[in-house]
Amino acid sequence: MSDLAKEKAARLLKKRGSLSSLGSHDVRTKEPAWKAKDSISTVSYIDEPGHHDDIPRPAMQMENTYQLGPTKRFPVLTVQDILKDVLASYLQEEKYEPELCRQMTKTISEVVKARVKDMMIPRYKVIVVISIGQLTDQNMRMGSRCLWDAASDTFSSHTFKNSSLFAVANVYGVYFE
Amino acid sequence: MQPAVKVNYASLCFCQTAFVVDEVSTIVKEAVEGAIGGNAYQHNRVNQWTNNVVEQCLTQLSKLGKPFKYIVTCIIMQKNGAGLQTACSCFWDNTTDGSCTVRWENKSMYCIVSVFGLSI
Repeated sequence: MSDLAKEKAARLLKKRGSLSSLGSHDVRTKEPAWKAKDSISTVSYIDEPGHHDDIPRPAMQMENTYQLGPTKRFPVLTVQDILKDVLASYLQEEKYEPELCRQMTKTISEVVKARVKDMMIPRYKVIVVISIGQLTDQNMRMGSRCLWDAASDTFSSHTFKNSSLFAVANVYGVYFE
Repeated sequence: MQPAVKVNYASLCFCQTAFVVDEVSTIVKEAVEGAIGGNAYQHNRVNQWTNNVVEQCLTQLSKLGKPFKYIVTCIIMQKNGAGLQTACSCFWDNTTDGSCTVRWENKSMYCIVSVFGLSI
């Protein structure tokens, strides 16, 4: 078998694996970690976009709406309340454990996404990013910057902390024109 | 006369509007290498580094000239044995939108950059 075919087969196999796990990332290492270099990097992504469906759906042609802006804005404060509520209820009593927190980040992000979806904000795409970290004496900085239309797109963020862990939740609402 | 090469316009169009992970991950890696490079963790420069990484990624992404809105987040964390988990879940159009996360580390720190591309 040629190298190309092998690679394709491996990728197909990986894709299946990533489909079954709930919102998990597909991790592949580009460079071998043991290369003589003091820094390493790995890339992960959800799936290859565009090749998700086995049966290609016919492109749907919609009529023009002539709508120029959002009819209802992304409710930042309501979403923030959801974040507060979810983070507090899931993490209040927890101690930091890697395996538990790995599951927890997935669960919380799904729960938040579901609750934001339930609000039925038309034409908004929702991205939920949750990070849970251990509270030791480390320093950490987190920053984000977006290229979007500041008039319609927005985000809300909440930080939660207890004695052994911290959690940062960001929800971005991006208007789909 | 018929043209000799038949161009598949559908796939050509797809390439121009889709989120290409390899392209984005290269940009991110270059940005991280450029901003942090071989430096060891220095408390007072982390702010600058995060800014530079995110800024550089966005500049390069916008130069691709694709009809996308981008969200770039960057986490730089000192290495001292502490753990960090991060996950994301998205509600979007799977056929056009995409995300890419690059984890970069050296001896003294971790740098995690996530890029989300949402088609307009």
